[in-house]
Amino acid sequence: MSGDAANLALPLSRLSTGACEATTLYRELRKPLLRYLVCLGLSSDEAQDVVQDAFLSLHRHLASGGSQENIKGWLFRVAHNQARNRQNRYDRNFSAPGDPEMNSVSHEATPERAVLEKEKFQQLGKAIRLLSASERECLLLRATGLRYREIGEVLGIATSTVSDTVDRAIKKLAEKCNV
Amino acid sequence: MCDFSGKLIAWMDRELSEEEAAAVERHLDACSECRSEVEAYKRVISKFDAYCEEAMTSNVRQGDPRWVPVVSAVGAVAAIVALFFVWPRTPYQPPAFQPSKVVVSDSAADTTEGLPARVRPIQKIHRRQVVTPVQIRNTIVPPVQNQDAYIPTNEPVIQIAIPADEMFPPGAVPEGIHFTADLTIAADGSAERLRLSPRLAVFERRTTLP
Repeated sequence: MSGDAANLALPLSRLSTGACEATTLYRELRKPLLRYLVCLGLSSDEAQDVVQDAFLSLHRHLASGGSQENIKGWLFRVAHNQARNRQNRYDRNFSAPGDPEMNSVSHEATPERAVLEKEKFQQLGKAIRLLSASERECLLLRATGLRYREIGEVLGIATSTVSDTVDRAIKKLAEKCNV
Repeated sequence: MCDFSGKLIAWMDRELSEEEAAAVERHLDACSECRSEVEAYKRVISKFDAYCEEAMTSNVRQGDPRWVPVVSAVGAVAAIVALFFVWPRTPYQPPAFQPSKVVVSDSAADTTEGLPARVRPIQKIHRRQVVTPVQIRNTIVPPVQNQDAYIPTNEPVIQIAIPADEMFPPGAVPEGIHFTADLTIAADGSAERLRLSPRLAVFERRTTLP
């Protein structure tokens, strides 16, 4: 929150326009962004911090008249880089996303079915952890609805590389999960 | 393995050109192996999405309040705004406090002539010099007959409403939270005490900004 003073110094009209657009984007993109960061391995608090910082950067970007082209990709790139910075700062590897507890399955299924579903989920979790970092990142960004070109911009790799990586990752999961 | 196997996922993601996509579709009509592969990929993708969603809901507590940065930001901005409004431009000598009650009759309220000096209409009101909270509280307020007459009431003299969206970046103030600022102003016009009380309430953001 160190940049609040700089925000207040922005011209009011630009501030208002930027705030309006950033608010709309916040409602739309907060959840996909949180999901990406949590699945990348950040804790809940870390993910929420990164999301807040990313939207603050977006607000400054829009209020200062920055480019509005592919804002979604821009936001994910900022969040991705901030997550990577935290990884370097704390010398920690975000390679293993936290396993979900599968609370939702047990509500609707029979106990046997629930156990089976839980086992499949754990199998999938194991397979996801065996993917390389770039494979996992490509799949996670793809799951948020980004196109291959946008994923390439976020990760700084070519679109053809994204296509190959996504293809390889999904085939690995299909093979290991035996779906 | 079929030659088209490497294009199936890109085709599912609509990342192929029209010509390539048409070629894949023609091939799928004829190749049952590729059709079953596509079905398997769909199931994997669906499971992966469900896994991510579950990871998100089990790790992130929705509506988790983050008070420290919010309260500090609100406090800093509110203090700046308050100081801006109450800082006296010229030295002001407050009038001596008189505990006697000021009574204004109905007939006196109709005309400014009959009013005591303290409740006569002020042509040029300087808001920074109006505030004398103790005296206002001691004033008995008659029914207002003449809207032009300046009659102090028990209501706050200055009310400032600033939407959170105008002051803070999105996300700084969680939805459903607003603040009530309790500001005490000293006799010399300076801010004596500022207390912010966070409140949870049904809060709707404005969909449009001016």
